[in-house]
This record gives sequence, structure tokens and C-alpha cells, in this order.
Amino acid sequence: MTRSTENRILATPLVLFLLVMLGFPTILDIIYSFSEVSFENLRSPTFNGGQNYISILNDPEFWSASWFSMKFGLATAFAECILGLVLAVYLAPIIRKNTWMIAVLIMPMMIAPAMMGLMYRLLLHEFVGALPHYMFYWLGDSPAFLSRENVFTTVFTIETLQWTPFAFLLFFMAYEAIPGEMREAAAVDGARGLRMFWHIEMPMMLPTIAVAFFVRFIDGFRVFDNIFVLTGAGAGGATTSLSIYIYLSFFRSGEIGNAIAASVILFCVSFLALFFAGRLLRRSGA
Amino acid sequence: MSQKVKNLIRWLVFILVALIINFPVLATLSASLKTAAEISRNPGIFVQSPTLENYASILEVSERLNIFSYLQNSLIASTIASVLPIVLCFPLAYAVARRGYGKSLIFPTVVNLRAMPLIIFAIPLYMMYQSVGLLDTPLGLGLILAVVNLPLALLILVNAINDVPFELDEAARIDGARIFVILLKIVFPICLPALATVFIFSFITAWNEFLFGLMLTTTDAVPMTVGASFFFSSGGGGVQWGVAAAVIIVASVTPVVLGILMYKHISRSMIAGAVKG
Repeated sequence: MTRSTENRILATPLVLFLLVMLGFPTILDIIYSFSEVSFENLRSPTFNGGQNYISILNDPEFWSASWFSMKFGLATAFAECILGLVLAVYLAPIIRKNTWMIAVLIMPMMIAPAMMGLMYRLLLHEFVGALPHYMFYWLGDSPAFLSRENVFTTVFTIETLQWTPFAFLLFFMAYEAIPGEMREAAAVDGARGLRMFWHIEMPMMLPTIAVAFFVRFIDGFRVFDNIFVLTGAGAGGATTSLSIYIYLSFFRSGEIGNAIAASVILFCVSFLALFFAGRLLRRSGA
Repeated sequence: MSQKVKNLIRWLVFILVALIINFPVLATLSASLKTAAEISRNPGIFVQSPTLENYASILEVSERLNIFSYLQNSLIASTIASVLPIVLCFPLAYAVARRGYGKSLIFPTVVNLRAMPLIIFAIPLYMMYQSVGLLDTPLGLGLILAVVNLPLALLILVNAINDVPFELDEAARIDGARIFVILLKIVFPICLPALATVFIFSFITAWNEFLFGLMLTTTDAVPMTVGASFFFSSGGGGVQWGVAAAVIIVASVTPVVLGILMYKHISRSMIAGAVKG
């Protein structure tokens, strides 16, 4: 057996699996996005040109869902990276000696986002929830967390509190990986405290920060679980992310063609984003 | 300020942050230990008269909401979703690590899946599953969750095989051993720690997944995360908060215990995954 035959054999199982599980669905996606399709004629869709795309692009809800996803992804990624960075650097001296602290701080990451959302259903409930209880007790008032005005702040906070640990973990590891000689050399030159962080440590952590921001943005952009179990499409659609929009058009309103057209658009946008992010990362040498 | 005082403040900050981010879990745990009467009388975090009756009540409604069936479905689907990525990625990881094979196409494709919103495949998969009878089966759910786990599995395995000394398999090769023998008898045993990490990490991810469980199952194959949400849709008399809280705790025990056991390895592989992804 030659090496190249061997290589092909080694790759075959995974390639076949991907073709069946993703290749085939992608082709279906493309065909159905140009078709008139409902639950009744699922097997025999009829070609309708770009109708689905036109109706998607004219649907204000599609745009508000895209805007929500973009805003949510950027805001949460930004907040998580800032908080994670502050925590990692500030707590590093004590965590270094007590590594069990890491386990305590990354515990929220082990909880399913859907379960986290359900926990907040209980926690924020105006009669049985602990948070309104304490807010009434201490502040004399408690906001309507899931009202149209407050709901974005609420889901933003929930996502940030659950995933700041992810950013913290990456940053702590990157911070600990900075060679001691670097710090010593900088200290000899008179750098310490904030200056040391700003001019020496932070630039060394920059690639990790970029990666953490990218991963968190992606996960925030495609958010579904926690928002879906907490508000459904509720709060007047104020929390409909793109994933939730696709889900709802598919199941509730039976606009399968539209849901699929939206999927294809999302696919293309993600693909482009990945392509450019990859080039950017490679150029910065991460 | 002396170093001691500074560190004392750090400890206080740590305790405060740990309490805030884990507050939902603590509040849910506390509610699960209260009677229905106590929950409405005392919504705070401290339990006055702890009881396990909510956990017992989960079993009473099991004719309508069968938690054993949810747990079993999650177990089957998650096992498939953790074994399959290893079986599929291990051979390719060897080709990538040792020969640089697939570095231009397969490897980046799989790794970039991490960043794809997988809902775009959900609807065509629904149709596909419907025609081949995989809809509402733990196998069908396990297969797509295996796709979710591929990127990290491949990354961790490529890194692990990179760490295996080259001479080991080269020597076996000169002795005339076939590639599959080398993979199974030499590389596989050395990579066992990495394989265990992949397994556990994939298991947690699959166990915690919600979207595909929601879309691709209806009655027979409902996983624990989706099943737990059923306890929150008030059937008649409103939500039984104590029981619902107990269900969340039951659903979360598995990933949390696995996570605590594995946190050191998980942090290391997350680095591998994130930095190279």
C-alpha cells in the first residue's frame, strides 16, 4: 500500500460521514431555498425562483433578528472579554497557589445553557424568585426583568455571567504562560503594575484575546437555548435571535421555504466571516 | 498596602465573583430542597426545613413526564456523540499529524465547523431523518451531536499524536507492521489520556445540547435538557417550582461532576482548541 492510498483510507470514514451528515443537507438547503414548500409537499417541492429570498429580505423580522444577533454577539463578547481579563490578571496571584479556584469559577460552563435559562425562569419569577425577593427586601423595588425594555439587558447579563468564565480561563492560561524573564527584564526597566500590564503583558496576550472574542462572538451570534427557554419569542419578539427566527418560521408558521432561505443566507455570511477572520488571524500571526 | 492585605481583598473578590456566577445554581438547589409552601413563603436562598419530597415527586409524574426515559435518551445519544468522533477523527488525525495530509481542505473544514451556526443544517436534517426513520430516535440525535463534537476531537487528537515520539511508529513500520496495527497497538495506547479528554468533553457538550434535541425529537427520544423544559410548561395547575428545580438539578449533575473531575484536562484542551481554532 502506498502512502497516499493509506492517507485516503485514513480520511475516508470522516469524509463519508461529513458528506452524509452535512454535504447532503447543504444540497437540500440550496434546492429547497428556491422552492415552494410546506409540510404537505415536503417530498415534492415546486421551483419558485428567488421568491423565498425576496420575501425574507422584505421581512422586517428577519432584519430585526439579524440586528439582535449581531448586537447580542458583540455586546456579550466584549463584556465577557473585559471581565475575564480583569479577573484573570487580578486574581492570578492567589489562583496560582490554589488551582481548585479554577474549578469553582468555570462551573457555570458545565451547566447546559438551556438549564441556565430555566434556572433564571425560577430565579427571576416575581413571586417565587430569589432575586426579586432580595431586591424588594434591600432596595424596596424590583424591575420587570422580562419586560420589553429590560429583556435585552437581562439576557445579556445571563449570557455574560455564564460565559465570562470561558474568557477568564483562556486569559489566565495565557497570562501564566508569559515567560518570567520577560517580566523581570521589564521590571528592571522600571515597569510595574498597570504599565507592566499595558505595555508588556497585554500585547503578549493579544492573540488569545482575539481568539476568545471571536469564539464568544460566534456563540453569542447564534444564541438559542437560554433565550428560547426564558422568553420563547416573547417580550414582543424583542429577543428573537437569528437562530430563533429560523426555528420559529420552520415550526410555528410553517414557512419552510423562508426558514431555509434564511439558513442559506446565514450559511453564506458565516462562511465569509470565517474566511476573513481566518485571513486576519493568520496575518497577525496567531 | 501590604501584600497580605492585597491578597485578602483578592480572596474577597474571588468569593464574591464565585457567588454571583454560581448564584442561579445555588438558588435552584435551594428551591429544590423546599416544600411548595416554603417556596412561596420564603423565596430567599436559605432553606428553613430541607426536604427531598420534590425529588420524590419527579417519580410521581413519570407517567406523563418520564425522567428515566429522558436520562436514558441523553445517555445513549451522548455516548454515540462521544465515541463516534474518536473513531472518525483518530485515523485522520494520524494522517494530519504525521504526513500533513488534509491540511488544506479536510482539516480546516472540520475545525471551522466550530464556528458554523448549526441550525442551518437542522431543517434539511429533519427532512432527511424523516425519510430514513431517524427522526425521534436517540441514534439520529447522537449522529448530529457527533458532528458538533468533531472540531474539538480532531484538534485534540492531532495535538496528541504530534506529541507521540516519531521513532516509535517508524520503528514498527520498518518491522513491516501495517498502518492499522501501528495505529491500534502503538499510537492508540499512548494517546489514551487525550482520548479520555475528548470522550468526556464531547459527552458534556452532547448532554447539554438543546436545539437539535428540540427539533429532531418529539416523544420517544426526548433528551434530558428538552424534557426538563417540559416541567416548566404549566399543565393545568401552574408550574410546580420545587419539582422543576429538582429536575434541573438532576439534569445538571452529570456534566457538573464530569467537569469537576476533568477541569484540569478540560482547561488544557480548551486552550488547544481555542488557540489553534
